[in-house]
Amino acid sequence: MTSDSLERQPARLPKLPKQAILAKTFHWINVVSVFIMLTSGLQIYNANPVFGGRQGMHIFPLFTLGGWLAGGRDWHFAAMTLFALNLLWYGVYILVTRRWRHRFVGGNDVKALQVGRSEKRKAYAWHRIIYTAIVPILLLAIFTGIGMYKPAQFYWIVDAFGSWEALRIVHFITVPAVIGFAIAHSLLALKVGGTQLLESMFW
Amino acid sequence: MLRRQFLHLTGLSSTGLLLSGCGASYLADVAGTLTEPFNQKIEELLLKPQTPVPELPISQIEPEQLLINTFGFTPEIDPAKYRLTIDGDVNHPMQLSLNEIYKLPFRSMVIRHVCVEGWAAIVQWGGVPLRELIQLAQPKDGAKYVYFQSADRYYESWDMASCLHPQTLMAYQKNGEPLPIDNGAPLRLAAPIKLGYKQSKWVTRITVRSQLLRNQGYWEDQGYEWFAGL
Repeated sequence: MTSDSLERQPARLPKLPKQAILAKTFHWINVVSVFIMLTSGLQIYNANPVFGGRQGMHIFPLFTLGGWLAGGRDWHFAAMTLFALNLLWYGVYILVTRRWRHRFVGGNDVKALQVGRSEKRKAYAWHRIIYTAIVPILLLAIFTGIGMYKPAQFYWIVDAFGSWEALRIVHFITVPAVIGFAIAHSLLALKVGGTQLLESMFW
Repeated sequence: MLRRQFLHLTGLSSTGLLLSGCGASYLADVAGTLTEPFNQKIEELLLKPQTPVPELPISQIEPEQLLINTFGFTPEIDPAKYRLTIDGDVNHPMQLSLNEIYKLPFRSMVIRHVCVEGWAAIVQWGGVPLRELIQLAQPKDGAKYVYFQSADRYYESWDMASCLHPQTLMAYQKNGEPLPIDNGAPLRLAAPIKLGYKQSKWVTRITVRSQLLRNQGYWEDQGYEWFAGL
């Protein structure tokens, strides 16, 4: 497929990158819904910090959404369906169109990192590794979130993590993971394709 | 552009900071009002009204984890004078003394008590299943909701299916001991299927209703989710 041509001719990325309209749609909904999930999640966190309980360090209000616990939960539960269904249809889409075979990390990227000489191709490989790796983290956020939302009906999710506290910590850790990803992903996209690539993903 | 979007959105939360919650809460209310009916349908679908939630071993009880949350004061109730009133849309309204309640079928369970704040504690509760009380009073046709009035003026309302769940108890025992006053003595709601704020302490009156009133619960009336199923 296209992967071989990328391997041999890394400099020939299209001058003006274009993204599929559905990929852009997914990306937009994901950016907005993840943002709401993060900020409202941190609002909920403040009701009883995961680390240290009520005496624990609270999140600065600028980074929280909802004003108080009930408001944070309103936002969290309003955005969760959007966030999860967006991932679901996108998953179906990349399976049906077989985008997962050439738009996500593959053996060719590993090869480029191991034996490749082109720095640009290597950066591209890292770019693909990073944006592929965020998918399981987003799914983990949903999985642990369902466990915390309905721990009686999905008691086996709580059991899978050993305890409520462990489940909470894993759910919380998806927050720094997603923030770290957003930074790395933006920087790598800039490095690989400049502002043109960045703009192509949004407009 | 991404940056502008970011600033726009954070603007919402800093507005919340400036208005000490008013502005942000208003938007959150809108978000909640728009999505809660759908979420509640899902919650009702997930609830298995007759299936007990798996219980936990006694060795896993976490006595230190159960925090005391009270909206106001802690009422002192004389057990000898205490009466539980059951009324509303029932064929047999009644008043029960504690000794009469103690004679009703007893159920003990070790479950996870989950607070809306995010913490949880594994607790043993013992008491009479609420459905025994409701069956005694015989609800009329169309009875769909149950209101709980507490001695500290806390009030709550539940859907009937959750009230009839086999693990929804009017509890008078905690971790093998008589229920402490701070935890709601002489009688409180306890269930693994609802968040902690639904589980009223110091319950004095149970009223069966065919409709939800404008007042749905102390915290609900301030913006908390009504169904609050787990």
